[in-house]
Amino acid sequence: MELLRPSSVEELDGGVPVHGGTEVVPLLREGLLAAETLVDVRGLVPRGTRDGVIGAGTTLAELEVDPSIPSALREACRLAASPQLRNMGSLGGNLLQATRCWYWRLGYPCRLHGGDRCHARDGEHREHAIFANGFCASAHPSDVAAALVALGARLRTNRRELAIEELYRLPDEDDRRTTTLEDGELILEVELPSVQASVYLKAMDRRRWSFPQVGVAAARVGSETRIALAGVAPIPWRIESAEDLDKVTPLPRTEWKVPLAQALVRRALAAVD
Amino acid sequence: MSEVRLTVNGGEHVIDVPVGASLAHVLREELGLTGTKIACNEGHCGACTVQIDGVPRLSCIMLAHTVEGEVTTIEGLREHPLVDAFVRADAVQCGFCTPGQVVSAAALVAANPEPTREEIRHAMAGNICRCGTYPKIEEAILSWQD
Repeated sequence: MELLRPSSVEELDGGVPVHGGTEVVPLLREGLLAAETLVDVRGLVPRGTRDGVIGAGTTLAELEVDPSIPSALREACRLAASPQLRNMGSLGGNLLQATRCWYWRLGYPCRLHGGDRCHARDGEHREHAIFANGFCASAHPSDVAAALVALGARLRTNRRELAIEELYRLPDEDDRRTTTLEDGELILEVELPSVQASVYLKAMDRRRWSFPQVGVAAARVGSETRIALAGVAPIPWRIESAEDLDKVTPLPRTEWKVPLAQALVRRALAAVD
Repeated sequence: MSEVRLTVNGGEHVIDVPVGASLAHVLREELGLTGTKIACNEGHCGACTVQIDGVPRLSCIMLAHTVEGEVTTIEGLREHPLVDAFVRADAVQCGFCTPGQVVSAAALVAANPEPTREEIRHAMAGNICRCGTYPKIEEAILSWQD
């Protein structure tokens, strides 16, 4: 394996990008990601916050204490991981986290790995999705992504500008990926609109950091109240209103997430009202 | 093999290791600094915590070739009053997590010499103790200046 440190985005030519390494290194070690070339992108991705634009290389620890950042994003960062991980992990990297589905992590030939069945649907799925789980029942783990969806963030990559919701796609028969990021494409900046009020609430299996059982972000942006959830679908999941929680399709052992999501959505909406 | 330059506890080191080697591996196997422990080896437990420029990070999932800044391991904190505080408070049972606990605690008290219990719990949340000595670790940090 080799490690490259390109000095400009134009020099990018394949390889697996690494920033804080908290996602990539464990995946490499587990054999879930193969790389002959690692690309240290810390010199390419902006870091820090200016006028509502956040460099994607800013660490979660830096964001959680930044008073210019809306509450939902600060709280999502604060609750996302342990202090050491928050000191290492970047905003951009957090958005690209792989699922914690144990079948995927253990290398089962599931649909996300290109196989022909979702092992979680027939097997153990208590931590899995309650929305959009027909093809793959994995749950998306990023608190930060849910917060950014609720906040209506836009992303700038080295190739395009997009709404954060366009970063994600549900995996299907023809394409098993959960993001639309292309090879060689790097998230460089995250732009936030002006937000009147926002909140992030998270249920975990222990009080200190853990992946979300259900995370709910709500934000008042202009005349709109936006809600997005973590841990409930293969990608960060936006709902239009609390009534959308009537459209869930939980598996037998994920039904417990439904009242949890309803309660958190109710509290989140009250908090931003 | 590829060259790595590291500053660890004030000493300079130049070593050849394969790309992909973790900082924890290099500290333990190349530099003989076995105070840094590897337990989960996937970034969950905090046993491998070291400071980089004073900030706690997980050396088991940090690639040695990407380290920028000064590394402080538990060996570099030998004289820190927290070590005695942990002994006085009996904050050690099996002791495997203790180096990581002390490294995280040292960063906390450097930034905030008189942390509250809540601040301690927040800052120490990334160091797991299987023996459950958390109340005594908290006591040690509350009394580190005594």
